[in-house]
Amino acid sequence: MADLDAHVVAPARLKLLTTLTAVSEAEFSTVRDTLQVSDSVLSKHVAALEHVDYVKRRKGVHRGRRTTWISLTPRGRAALSVHVAALRDLIDGVG
Amino acid sequence: MESTPERPTVAQASAALTDAEASRASLAHRIATPSWFFTSMGAAIATQIATTAVGLGDSAPWVLAAGLAIFAAVAGAQLARFRRLNGVWLGGFASRVVLGTGMLASASYAIALGAAIWAAYDGRWWLVTLCSVGGGAAYALSGRKWISTYREQPAVHWRGESATWLAMLTLAAVAGLALLLMNG
Repeated sequence: MADLDAHVVAPARLKLLTTLTAVSEAEFSTVRDTLQVSDSVLSKHVAALEHVDYVKRRKGVHRGRRTTWISLTPRGRAALSVHVAALRDLIDGVG
Repeated sequence: MESTPERPTVAQASAALTDAEASRASLAHRIATPSWFFTSMGAAIATQIATTAVGLGDSAPWVLAAGLAIFAAVAGAQLARFRRLNGVWLGGFASRVVLGTGMLASASYAIALGAAIWAAYDGRWWLVTLCSVGGGAAYALSGRKWISTYREQPAVHWRGESATWLAMLTLAAVAGLALLLMNG
C-alpha cells in the first residue's frame, strides 16, 4: 500500500498540488481564486511545499504588474501521485 | 519539519480528493481562448500555406519568409493574450493548438501544404487558395477539439512537446523548405 505524504495530507495542500497538475504554470492570484483562499494562506502552503521541492516559484509579470508564478516540480508531481494512490487505497479499504 | 500525518477517515479522504479534483476541473473549465483566437490562427496558417506555395512556385523566397513572419507574429501575440487572459501557461495549448503538433492539425497541415505546393508548381492558383483555406480551417478545428479534450482530462493533456522536439521539427521544416527552394 502507498504511504500518505506528510507534506500533502492537509486538504488545502492536496487541492493546491492537484490544481497545479492542470497547467504548466499558474499566476498567484489565479491559484488563490481557484482555491478560494486568502493570499496569506496560499503563501504559507506554497512556502512549505517549496521547501520540500514540491513546487517552485518565480517572479514574473502579469497584466503589467510584478507577481509570482507557481508550478509543480517533477518531485511534487510524483509525491502527489503516491499520496493520491494512498488515499484511494484507504477509500477502497485496502489500507 | 512535518510531523507524521494523522490518518484521515475514509469520509475525509474521499471529501479531500473530490474537492481537489473539483478545483482542478474548475480551473481547466475556466481556461478560455482570447477573442478571435481560432479565426486569427486559421487565417495565419492559411496565409502561411499560401505564401509558402507561392514562394516556392514563383521562386520568391521573400514571399515564403513573409508568410512565416506573419504566422510567428500572430502565434506570439495570441500566446501572450492567452497567458494574460487566463493567468496560466499551458504547454499543451502552446504546442498542440498554436504550433499545431496535434495529430489532426499536423496531418491536415501537411496534406494542405503539400497539395498547395503541387498546385503552385502547376500554376493552379485557385487550388492553392482552396488548399490554404482548407488547411487553416482544419488547423483551427483541431485547436477547438484539443480544448474540449483538455477540459475533460487536464492532468493528462497539460504537457506540451519538449523544446528539443520542437527545435528538431523546426529544423526539419526549414531544411525541407530550403531544399525545395534550391530545386525550384
